[in-house]
Amino acid sequence: MHLIVCLKPVPKPGTVRVDPKTHTLKRDSAQLILNPPDLYALEMAVELKETYGGKVTALMMGPPNAAELLREAYALGADEMVLLSDRAFAGSDTLATSYVLSRGIKRLEPYDLVLMGKASIDGETAQVGPETAAWLGLPSVIQVKKIQREGDHGWVVVRVREGYEEELFLSGPAVVTVEPGINDPRPPSLKRLLAVRELAPRLFSAQDLECEPEKLGLSGSPTQVLDVFAPSYQREQILLTGEPEEVAQELVSHLRTRGLI
Amino acid sequence: MAGFWIYGEWAEDDFHPVVYELLGVARTLAPRLGQRVVVVTLGPEDRKTGVEKVLSYGAEEVLFLVHPELDYFRDDLFGRLLGDMVRERRPEVFLFGATSEGQALAPRIAGELGLGLTAHCTAFEVDEEGRLVQIRPSFGENIMAKIVSRTRPQMATVRPGVFPKAEPGEPRGRVEEIKLAALPPSALVRRAVRPLPRVENPLTRARVVVAGGRGLQSKENFAQLFELAELLSGAVGATRPVCHLGWISEEHMIGVSGVSVAPKLYLGFGISGALQHTVGIQGAETVVAINIDPEAPLMKQADIAVVGDARRILPALIRRIREIKEGKNGSGS
Repeated sequence: MHLIVCLKPVPKPGTVRVDPKTHTLKRDSAQLILNPPDLYALEMAVELKETYGGKVTALMMGPPNAAELLREAYALGADEMVLLSDRAFAGSDTLATSYVLSRGIKRLEPYDLVLMGKASIDGETAQVGPETAAWLGLPSVIQVKKIQREGDHGWVVVRVREGYEEELFLSGPAVVTVEPGINDPRPPSLKRLLAVRELAPRLFSAQDLECEPEKLGLSGSPTQVLDVFAPSYQREQILLTGEPEEVAQELVSHLRTRGLI
Repeated sequence: MAGFWIYGEWAEDDFHPVVYELLGVARTLAPRLGQRVVVVTLGPEDRKTGVEKVLSYGAEEVLFLVHPELDYFRDDLFGRLLGDMVRERRPEVFLFGATSEGQALAPRIAGELGLGLTAHCTAFEVDEEGRLVQIRPSFGENIMAKIVSRTRPQMATVRPGVFPKAEPGEPRGRVEEIKLAALPPSALVRRAVRPLPRVENPLTRARVVVAGGRGLQSKENFAQLFELAELLSGAVGATRPVCHLGWISEEHMIGVSGVSVAPKLYLGFGISGALQHTVGIQGAETVVAINIDPEAPLMKQADIAVVGDARRILPALIRRIREIKEGKNGSGS
């Protein structure tokens, strides 16, 4: 069984600086980590491999230095590492990103299932999973908490909806996104950490993937950021300062005056 | 044909509440874009009278795709049918609620048709070029981004609870029923539906929300919020970082990745006020911030800003309110 897990490099929270004048991100200053929700997808893939046999390929689109994060994925149980990296990918929105991922996935055929995290902690759109499936002409199921093989190519999946869960039969390969918190991602294995020092991810450029240039980067991204701004707030404000007991008392009397407590 | 389209997600015997919220948005924006408000929905014939309801809430037309096997949501099937409708009718705008269904469906259509899609918008504008400007918090940092799409329809999702519902009025317009003879193939079949134990998040309806952030410094300090919430008959909320630290489970998360709240009173303890969190409290009537840093964004936008260490003010506040509740000392009123 071939399982592909898509992983996203994201800036470690708190390490991104915003230019106070232009409001643009100073991305170079950021330290990259594996997108935390993706770890549940990786763990699910590794557990499926342990149950049914086969291999897990960790697939990432990112800058060359993201190779280190793929090694981390290897230590967490992935068997192969693939990095899609090209200057032409810079500035991609979710549509252009999902196009590149779909080209990478196509390159890795045959496969049985593609897994992703529910959303990234930087963009938080949760769009790339279903968009990638659409590019590939595959079905997609989001927020999956359980998955099992049925028959030669089928899957039984359980997904989380508002207030209920839904069990579905899926007749073949698909893209699923995994609900965060549904398993316990294992710690990195020491043996694998040592082994991966000798290994490097396979690297694919836009040309290797036979991408159509107009579908990449800014030109392949239909959404455009017109402007960014810091929100402003204008309200009449009461400011309380002093010792904890004093301010607590003052706050309570303000809230009582307003009938709030 | 064009139109300002809203996806009509169906929930048992009525549209999902977010559909009425999107109708509120559409009522303001559609006239400025010169578009008619259309709710697009799919289902079996017996929903016919049910789907008419939105005609009293600002929908000028309901596009109703009918087939007996459209009785439950299937991502690939609904995506394909709506994608075909978009190709045929060329709407100018297509909005979706960011429910589990909307979030599964909107990006499938975007992917199939090569369209731009903006997730979790918190405001919209129409610019001088007649484009829908989609506003959302950006990059998990404290900036908002104004986004436009080069493709049509301009597609966006909106979280439930962010916009007020449209008010009902005189019904107008009509339902256009499109009976489908056959459906395209789907790889999905529903086998079972099981209710989950926690059906409704108490946060979304709470009159009082007491929320905590990293400024509370420890899980033990954070746990005191439950005591305060109980005294005020409120619910406990949290920022994303403290959920990730494991101080509290993710159902308590308020903001872009969590729930939106609209209480009469919101108290934020040791919360700096990252947009990721504050977009979730837009509907709060009175905002109180307690923070050691008077320059923190939440302090700037609070109605009452209390400068001080949240770890010390929280227990003091609990004591004071308990005294009052127990009738020991009412001098504060």
